[in-house]
Amino acid sequence: MTAPFVPPTREQLERVRALAERRLTAAELDAYVHAPWADGEREGTRELIDWFVRRYPTPLERLRAARRAYHRARARMPDG
Amino acid sequence: MEASEFDELEFFKAIAASGAKALLIGRQALIALGLPVMTSDYDFWVHRDDVAAFNEAVAPFGLVPSHTPDEARARGRYVLENDEHVDVIVARSSSTVDGTVVHFDDLWARRQALPLDSSVDVAIPSLDDLILTKRFAARPRDAEDIRLLEALRDREPVT
Repeated sequence: MTAPFVPPTREQLERVRALAERRLTAAELDAYVHAPWADGEREGTRELIDWFVRRYPTPLERLRAARRAYHRARARMPDG
Repeated sequence: MEASEFDELEFFKAIAASGAKALLIGRQALIALGLPVMTSDYDFWVHRDDVAAFNEAVAPFGLVPSHTPDEARARGRYVLENDEHVDVIVARSSSTVDGTVVHFDDLWARRQALPLDSSVDVAIPSLDDLILTKRFAARPRDAEDIRLLEALRDREPVT
């Protein structure tokens, strides 16, 4: 059975945002960018891209779809 | 939060019609290219002489600039906002985290035109230049975006 979605707390969100928004050094950035792909990660990424461009064949459709997805996700956040 | 009645096609049509040299950068550019990432903000790099034209083009969408064109040029960046949020770089050049200086004019010369429909294109940097712009802020999500852009570069063309 799938568990119901539990939105993160504001504190959890702030922690994640602080981590996601911090500025990396050049060495940290390069280490992240050049880290080896995990097993299946590259294939999974390509499949996701393939699906996205198949489902939304034009740039305009992609922009509109991403906008809808963002607002759906935003509505489920604590300050949404 | 509800999605406002923002029309992407009309927005990009207005920018194209203004004649402003404006490059779409950031995650909206990634999405347009075919990467399923999440964002709501728009990021543009606009030629410093075209700030007023750009502002005028997006004014009908209720977007209000945070600074006058002169102030924006002095600061190198500004924001346009209402329900939408548009970050705009107006510097002649910007530096990556490792000190590489990237010039707007060079990116503009190498830009690609991505057709939104039969009547309007959106200007975005080349794939390699888009990767460079991701090294400006150098956040963890920028690193992730670079990995995605490199995966896209290794893939067949999408448009």
